[in-house]
Amino acid sequence: MYIKDLSCISPQQTYSQAFLQGRIEHFKTNHYLAAEPSYEELIPSSKLRRMGKVMRMGIGTGLPLLNKYPETKGIILATSEGGVEDSMNFLNQVVKYQEGALTPTNFVQSTPNAIAGLLALMTKNTGYNVTHVNKGLAFESALTDASLFLEEEPGARLLLGGLDQFSVYNYNIELLAGAYKKHFVDSSQLLGSGSPGTVCGEGSAMFIVDSQKKGALAQIKGVGQGSGLSLAELMERLRALLTSSNLVPEDIDAVVLGYNGDSETDTWYDKVRQELFPHQAVYSFKNLVGEYSTVSAFALWFATQLLSGFMPPKEAVLKASGEKPKRILIYNHHRAVQHGYMLLTV
Amino acid sequence: MPRAIVTGMGVVSALGRDCRENLESLQNGESGIRKPLFLQSRFSSTHLFGEVKTSDAEFKERLGLSSDIGFSRTDLMALHAFEEAVTQAGLSQADLSSPDTAFISASTVGGMCLTDQLYADSNLLGEGSSFVKAYSFGAHTLSIALLKNIKGYSTTINTACSSSANSIMLGARLIKAGKIKRAIVGGTDALAKFTINGFNSLQILSADSCKPFDEFRTGLSLGEAAAYLVLESDACCRGKKGLAEVLGYGNANDAHHPSALSDEAVGVVAAISGALHTSGVLPEQISYINAHGTATPNNDITELKGIQKSLGFIPPYSSTKSYTGHTLGAAGSLEAVFSIFSLLQNEIYPNLNCETPMKAFSERPERKLRRDIPIRFVLSNSFGFAGNCTSLILGKAS
Repeated sequence: MYIKDLSCISPQQTYSQAFLQGRIEHFKTNHYLAAEPSYEELIPSSKLRRMGKVMRMGIGTGLPLLNKYPETKGIILATSEGGVEDSMNFLNQVVKYQEGALTPTNFVQSTPNAIAGLLALMTKNTGYNVTHVNKGLAFESALTDASLFLEEEPGARLLLGGLDQFSVYNYNIELLAGAYKKHFVDSSQLLGSGSPGTVCGEGSAMFIVDSQKKGALAQIKGVGQGSGLSLAELMERLRALLTSSNLVPEDIDAVVLGYNGDSETDTWYDKVRQELFPHQAVYSFKNLVGEYSTVSAFALWFATQLLSGFMPPKEAVLKASGEKPKRILIYNHHRAVQHGYMLLTV
Repeated sequence: MPRAIVTGMGVVSALGRDCRENLESLQNGESGIRKPLFLQSRFSSTHLFGEVKTSDAEFKERLGLSSDIGFSRTDLMALHAFEEAVTQAGLSQADLSSPDTAFISASTVGGMCLTDQLYADSNLLGEGSSFVKAYSFGAHTLSIALLKNIKGYSTTINTACSSSANSIMLGARLIKAGKIKRAIVGGTDALAKFTINGFNSLQILSADSCKPFDEFRTGLSLGEAAAYLVLESDACCRGKKGLAEVLGYGNANDAHHPSALSDEAVGVVAAISGALHTSGVLPEQISYINAHGTATPNNDITELKGIQKSLGFIPPYSSTKSYTGHTLGAAGSLEAVFSIFSLLQNEIYPNLNCETPMKAFSERPERKLRRDIPIRFVLSNSFGFAGNCTSLILGKAS
C-alpha cells in the first residue's frame, strides 16, 4: 500500500507549511488544541456553525483530498469518540430536560460514522464506507481494512484517516480513569516529567492510499496490532512484522515511538528501543500533539514527512541521526493495553 | 479462495437468551416487543420496547462476574452471546488466543446506555463511577478481548444501523483473503435513553409495536440485542458442522442525507448489487430477504424500490424487527443469525403487524410461517444513518 497524498490538522501548524518549515507550538496546559484553519473555502458558514469540531477537522482534511482525487473508491475512517461533543450535548439535554422535547441535530451528528458519511455526501462518493471506533487501535484497524480492500481491488484508491477531538467531557472521564497528569506540565518538559499520566491532544490526519508505486510518498509495508500483549509477545510481533518484509531490526533507520510522558507506561518504548533498536534514530510526537486514541494517524503523517526529507524539530528528536531515514518502524500503545505498529519505507 | 463458513452462533434479544429460544419465538410468531421491565426512562410507561428479559445482575451471575465489575449492559449482553457462539463452534483457548483469530464487533451505543453515570462522570459530579472505562464504543470489544485472551486483530465498527453487517463482511473478507483462519463477528447494543430520545426527536419512534411494510407504519420500535457468529475458513473447520456460508457482501454509501435514504435508493441498490457480485448468486436464486424493514416511512418504501431495481423483482421478504425491535448496532448480526435459521430450517418467519398493504407495491411481506419452499440463498439488508448501506448473501453450508 502506497501513500500518495496526505493532509493533517493538529495542535501544530500542520495544515500549512509552517510546522514543516520549523515553527513549533508549545503548550503550558494538559490539553493541546488543534490549530484549525478557517475552513471558509470548504464549508459554507451557515453549515460550519452547526458542525462539531471533529466533523470540521474531518472535512478540512478529507474534502480537499477527495476533490483532488475524484476517482477515490471508498472512505475508511478511524475515530474513537466521533462527535463526542454532540453526544454529550444531547445526553446533557436528555438528563436536564428529563427526556423532554429535544432537537435532533446533536443526535444525528453524534454518530461516529457521520464524518465518513458527510464526506461521501459532499463528494457523491457511493463506494465502500466504514468507520472503525476501536479506541486506541481504531486507526490500525482501519489501515488493515484499507490494505485488504486494495488487495481485492488493486487498481483502487482510498481515503484513509484517523481523527478525534478534545472535549471537556471525555477529558473528565479519562481524568477519572487516571489517564492525565494532575498538574500542568510545559510541553517541553512532558517527556521527562517523571509523573504518571499524560496530556490530551486532538487532530485529524488523512491519506490517499493505493497500490501503485508511481508517485508515492511512502510505502506502508505492514501493520499489526494486539490487545493485552506481554512485552515478550510484543517483541515477537515486531520481529515478525520485519521478517514478513525480509528485514531484521538492523535494517530499520529510525523508530517513531509514542512516548507521552507517563512514567508508568513509557517503559514499553524504552524496552523496544533497548531490545530491538539500540542504535537507531528515535523520534517522539506526542509532546507535539498530545495523546488521543487515533494519534497513530498523526504518527504515520509524521513518519511519511521524515521519509520525504522533513528535518524534525529538536523537540521530536530523542536520538539523532545524520541521514534521512529510509525505513521507519512506528510503535504506539494505548495505556499499555492496546499495541499498534506500522512499517514504513520510501 | 478460502470460504467463510459459519460454525457457531450466539444471540440474546427480546426473543430469548440463546439461539433455541430465539428460533422458537420466530416459529411461534411471538413478538418480544412489550412494556419494559428494566428500562429507566420516561418512555417506559408510554412506549413498547424489544427489551432483553434479563437484568444486569442476572447476566453477571450467569457469566460468573463479580457484581461490582464495571461492565455496561452492552458489555454483558455481548459477552453472553459471545460465549454461546464460541461454545457452539467448539473454539479452544488456543484458537481464541491465536494471532489467526480476529474479533470484530460493532456498537452504536457502547456505554452510553449508562446515561446517568456518564452524565455524572463527564461533568465531574462525583469521585468517578466504576464505569469510567466502559463508555466508549469499543469498550466491550476490548473488555472481551482481555477477558478471553484474544490477541489477534480486533476492531469495533460503527456505521450506525448497518454496523454489525459490516463486522460480518470484514471477517469474511479477511478469511477469504487468507489473512486469518477464523473470526468472531457481530455486534451489541443495549437500550439507552440516548437512542430512545434521539429517535423520538426525529419523530420516528413508534409508541406501539412497529409495523414494517404497513401503509400506515408508525416508525421504529427500539430493541436491544447482541449477536455473534464464528466464521472459519473451510480448510480449518473440517469435521465441524457448518451452519451456513457467508457468500457475498456489498457496502456502499447512499451519499444523499445524514438521516434518510435517497428516493432513488442509490445506496440500497449498490449494496445489494455488490452482494450479488461477490457471491455470484443470481437475483432469481434469492429465496428470501430478511429486510432491514425498520417501519419508518422512509426506509420501507426505499428498501422495496431498491430491491425491485437491483433484483428486477421482489422475492418473499419479511422484517424480523417486528419481533425484536430495531437493535441498531446488533441488528445486522442478529438478522444474519435469523437468516441462518431460515436456511437451516427451510422456513420464512412472518412479518408481524402488517395490516394494510403499502399502496406503492403489490408484493406484501410474508405474514404466515412458510415451510413450503426450500431456502437456498438469503439476502439480509442493513441500512444506517449517514448513508451506510450493507447487504449480505448467506447460503447453506453445502
